[in-house]
Amino acid sequence: MPYELSHSPTDPGQRRAVRRLERPTRGRYVAGVCAGLAEHLGLNVRQVRLTFILASLAGGVGIAAYLFLWALTPQSPEATAVPGTHAVAAGRQANESLRNFVVGLGLLLVGGVLFAQQHDVNLRLGVLIPLMTVAGGAVLAWSQLDDAERGRWLVRSGEGRRAGLLRLGVGIALASVGVVFLATQGRGLAGLWDVGIAAVAVLAGAALIAAPWGVRLWSDLRAEQAQRIRETERADIAAHLHDSVLQTLALIQRKADDPGEVTRLARAQERELRGWLYAGPRGSRASLASAVTQAAHEVEDLHGIPIELVITGDGPLDMGGTALVQAVREALINAVRHGAPPVSAYVEVGSERVEAFVRDHGPGFDIDDVPRDRLGVRKSILGRMSRNGGTAALRRLEHGTEVCLSLPVSIAGAQAEAAPDAQPDIEGTR
Amino acid sequence: MTDPGSVQPIPIRLVLVDDHRMFRSGVKAELGESMVIVGEAADVDRAIVVVAQTRPDVVLLDVHLPGGNGNGGSDVISGSGGVSAESGQPVRFLALSVSDAAEDVIAVIRAGARGYVTKTINGNDLTSAIRRVADGDAVFSPRLAGFVLDAFGAAAGEVALIDEELDRLSTREREVMRLIARGYQYKEVAKELFISIKTVETHVSSVLRKLQLSSRHELTAWAVGRRLL
Repeated sequence: MPYELSHSPTDPGQRRAVRRLERPTRGRYVAGVCAGLAEHLGLNVRQVRLTFILASLAGGVGIAAYLFLWALTPQSPEATAVPGTHAVAAGRQANESLRNFVVGLGLLLVGGVLFAQQHDVNLRLGVLIPLMTVAGGAVLAWSQLDDAERGRWLVRSGEGRRAGLLRLGVGIALASVGVVFLATQGRGLAGLWDVGIAAVAVLAGAALIAAPWGVRLWSDLRAEQAQRIRETERADIAAHLHDSVLQTLALIQRKADDPGEVTRLARAQERELRGWLYAGPRGSRASLASAVTQAAHEVEDLHGIPIELVITGDGPLDMGGTALVQAVREALINAVRHGAPPVSAYVEVGSERVEAFVRDHGPGFDIDDVPRDRLGVRKSILGRMSRNGGTAALRRLEHGTEVCLSLPVSIAGAQAEAAPDAQPDIEGTR
Repeated sequence: MTDPGSVQPIPIRLVLVDDHRMFRSGVKAELGESMVIVGEAADVDRAIVVVAQTRPDVVLLDVHLPGGNGNGGSDVISGSGGVSAESGQPVRFLALSVSDAAEDVIAVIRAGARGYVTKTINGNDLTSAIRRVADGDAVFSPRLAGFVLDAFGAAAGEVALIDEELDRLSTREREVMRLIARGYQYKEVAKELFISIKTVETHVSSVLRKLQLSSRHELTAWAVGRRLL
């Protein structure tokens, strides 16, 4: 496990140390070739760019070199490796540079055409326009299948993916239309059929040959993705177990001579692990059941005595409910302090009333024995319940004591409903 | 351990099915001499073979087990259908679990287990639970009683008007379940309701039967929808 944890951070570091020729995703104008080259060779970016521009004027050598490098240089993986704001910013910048590039190219082309026409050069627009169409389509489609983008495109779902598919489709359509026009040059619509059929035949043949290979590539990709997801999940689980269970086990070993503490640690860890495994057992935190559960856990943690808690039904936590939870908590504290285990609590949230029973197996307590505690019980349990329209009773059983609490749901509900109405009245009297 | 009420001339023959060896040895150490462990198994397929060979009175069955059709303890119960103990009684199953997930517990009870206890149960309680199951009674932990009350809508006040209705608990059964959920022993339930222990056992067995036979669709949906209590 330490191996795995240390492995992943070093990987990108090693890659950077080798200084592969890569096109960075940030600080690029067109495709990041110049920036990448400058980084790779340790030169000034401006100088590299200027060199390319000058070379372009010298018979287009610069443009050829640029295109060549663009095709062969992989994009820096940063954009995909670091998700979040960074990737978003990089993507936005990439979009912007692409727009710059397309607009610039368009202007250049228009200028070139106008210039050529003025000097009576036969441009053969019939060839040029389809060629441009093909090129435009290819750029659109290829930019979509760019190495780094492919991963994002496959992972991303919804809007981004739809936009990607649209781009790919438009690109392919443009390229096809261009090819068809190029092929049917001067032959009219009649020739289109022959060419179309021939093209379809060739495409079908190519697809037939490439299909198994493509399918395998696709399935490999899926397998790789699944593997990655599995690994991430495993790493998550390992990290969680390391942070929780292993730590607790270490603590337990250290406190082996203190059984109370060991029990407490084990219970707390068990609860935590359960909560993690079956996340969200009872909806929101503000429910009556979750509030009771939390109170019971706190008492357990405080005193190290396990409480067998059973809850049926659930409801919203209103004012009456809060009082009930506090009374249950008080009863549980009394049970673990003065009673004997096993301590059990049963809370039933019915449609008409909420009932709670807290029971221990101690000798039971006497009024004369602990008068102060008795008073505490009277105030915090009996008093609290009667103030909220409920009842509380203490029962002495053969083995132990039971506190029975009952709270009508209708009263609690009526209070909650009355509260908003009461608010303006109070303000009015003031 | 040796209460005069139930004289056991022949010790209960027990098979332990759990995939954790440590837990099996722990149980062995805790159980008294009134039990004889005649076999052990760590997975579903082995468990079915062992149960068929040894024909025990009671099988102590972990809910989560490897092998079989992937349903754990339920697979062992369905795979051991028709096997009877040496005494001629059918083999009885007591489910034992750390899971507490309603889905698992309800599944294993519906497959035919006579009761369900959590693995945190102490030795004495486990012994009496096994004895009760061996006698053909049902064993309900407070937690299982809570499941039942919730699943049958009894907590919300739904009560059967006639006793034979399978989809609801009768008023008396509801009372018994509520007391068990409150942590009462059968003896205490009997005292509380002014009935005999035998009557309590009858009620509990009848609840178990309803749990196994009821087609109440909410039962399964409830258990699946609430993975944990």
